[in-house]
Amino acid sequence: MTQTKRPREPFAPWDRRALPGLFDVEETAKRVGHYKWVEIKLFEALGGWVATVPELDVKMRLGTHCYHHAWHADLFDKRLPELREMKTDRLTVPANDHMVAFIDAMTEPEGPEMTIEKLVGVYRVLIPHKIAAYTYHRNATSEITDMPTVRILDFILQDEFNDWREGEMLIQSMIESDEEIDRAMVHQTRLEKLMLAAGGIAGPGSIGDPYVDLPEEN
Amino acid sequence: MTQVSVTPESFEMVFYDAAVIGEVVGEVAERLGVEESIKLEIDEESPLGRSKVTSYDPIELWVDGGALENTKRPRQFGSARTRDTIGRLLLRILDRRSGRFDETPADDELNLMQFAAWDVHCVGRLERLGIGGQRQRRLYQFRNRHGFTDLADAAFQQLWESSELSWTEIERISEGCRIS
Amino acid sequence: MRKIFPAEELARDARFIRQTNEQRLGDPRGARVAGGNTNERLAKLTPELANGPDRARALMHGIFVGEIQALEGAGRTCWDFEVGEDVPLALKLDMARQCWDEARHCEISVSLAEHMGTELGEFAENGLLYEAACNPDPVLRLTGVNRALEGLAIDVFNTMKEFGNLAGDPVLEFCEDWMLADEVTHVKMGSDWLRRLTENDKERLDKALEFQKVVDRLFSFNGFRGEDDDSPIQLTRRFRELAGFSDDEIDEIADMSREARVEAAS
Repeated sequence: MTQTKRPREPFAPWDRRALPGLFDVEETAKRVGHYKWVEIKLFEALGGWVATVPELDVKMRLGTHCYHHAWHADLFDKRLPELREMKTDRLTVPANDHMVAFIDAMTEPEGPEMTIEKLVGVYRVLIPHKIAAYTYHRNATSEITDMPTVRILDFILQDEFNDWREGEMLIQSMIESDEEIDRAMVHQTRLEKLMLAAGGIAGPGSIGDPYVDLPEEN
Repeated sequence: MTQVSVTPESFEMVFYDAAVIGEVVGEVAERLGVEESIKLEIDEESPLGRSKVTSYDPIELWVDGGALENTKRPRQFGSARTRDTIGRLLLRILDRRSGRFDETPADDELNLMQFAAWDVHCVGRLERLGIGGQRQRRLYQFRNRHGFTDLADAAFQQLWESSELSWTEIERISEGCRIS
Repeated sequence: MRKIFPAEELARDARFIRQTNEQRLGDPRGARVAGGNTNERLAKLTPELANGPDRARALMHGIFVGEIQALEGAGRTCWDFEVGEDVPLALKLDMARQCWDEARHCEISVSLAEHMGTELGEFAENGLLYEAACNPDPVLRLTGVNRALEGLAIDVFNTMKEFGNLAGDPVLEFCEDWMLADEVTHVKMGSDWLRRLTENDKERLDKALEFQKVVDRLFSFNGFRGEDDDSPIQLTRRFRELAGFSDDEIDEIADMSREARVEAAS
């Protein structure tokens, strides 16, 4: 017979979630606003590019991924009021001007012969940086107080990993010559430099700071 | 080379050239071993794909302009489509002359299922000769007439792969897989 | 990347050949529609027709390229307009959702083309559908695309679903049924956004409905889509009602088709 009065720990032995987190409500809202801005810019670009790429498989993937990122934007949009930001547009902004410059450069390619550049910008630069920032946020925030954001990020990261893999495979399947490798690398380098200047999709500190300050020597 | 006369000699509604058509028809006839002259009448006003043998001896064929059309480029001549259309008609003529098709009803007495089955047998042979093809298209037509069943697919396979079936055999295969 | 991408520049691989509207309408044998030509005096598309399976193949290819253009059009609506200034974010989210749906429809259509023995690009492509998706006013664009063209898609898919049912083709019937469900959703999106965005703007509402009529008329060659028993494509009242069309609106489309048929016959 079940002993209903027998006490149990509030956290089961395998539940190691910790209360402390690196972000307070305000910082979380700020980051979520930046994420939402990036997701909007990305789904807009993917949608716009559909008409410009002649490769049928790429066309259909871009159309599919377009919705994934729109859904992410929607999830972040719905999270903002829960983080005390009722006017969600106020925080739906780029982290800085460098981030705007990055998006401008990423969305610049239009010609039908530039599918490699389009894919490289998204799948070799932006999405890896999004995965990095979201993973950092997911691991650094409180898994108890900010669990709704963690849950959203878990869903989103699942999409990001799948989309990144599909995009990377499309790129690999399209690169058939040394010249195309150069094109991909030149574009990637240009965008990476802009992203470096931006400090990541949420600005400096997007993935924290791994360096330690050396203590003053005696 | 086989003598081919094409009517009309010039076209108003489509961008066809009677000489080019004659050449393609002549090539198909030669590949199939038809040496006698062929009369081909084209109704250029019709974009449909109908075709028929109006006389078996001498050979006289009638087709809609659409049966010779390049479907990618409307109003333009399509040599692949023409080879398929003319190849099927000429094979039917050769079949009827072979002695294996003596019991075949007249063309206008054939129903859609019989036509579909005979077409499969013709196009399968044409494909092996490198003249026509579109196996899946023929399978789809055959299934529409005989049912979307494994039995129908097996019958199709038999009709497609066989080289010299008689009309009785085609009828038996077709009837054997029809959905009641 | 530019805003408003012209129809003549839609990117395609070498298999696809574009037929201009001038070429299409200039064909003295009649424009191609519903898998046949208008001059054929097209009968209702059923498997019993001698050319039924081939017409279904051609129509399915038309649906396929239509899906590509619908995908491209919905994608452009995500890009061409600014959130806040031109349209609410929610509208763009709907368009992104439609992108995914249309991408799936492309995948379904490719599979159906293979099933029916059609090569991709086997038939000429016309860019008329995408052209309606180039309207610079988002309300007019959505009304033209989501209410007129996606409405037509409801009728076409239902006709193809019935074709599959009559032919005993479970693959065609299954696929068309799923696509039909999505199209009802898209038309409803169009109806909802039209109402919301023109709530206090009667002039814009009238303009949008007028544009819808223009598009409906453009796609009413000889009244091939109607309620008569022999209409090649059957107007589908039930699903249109589900998608937010009023009885009057459906009556109007039916009348338009009837008039076009009479005109063609005379």
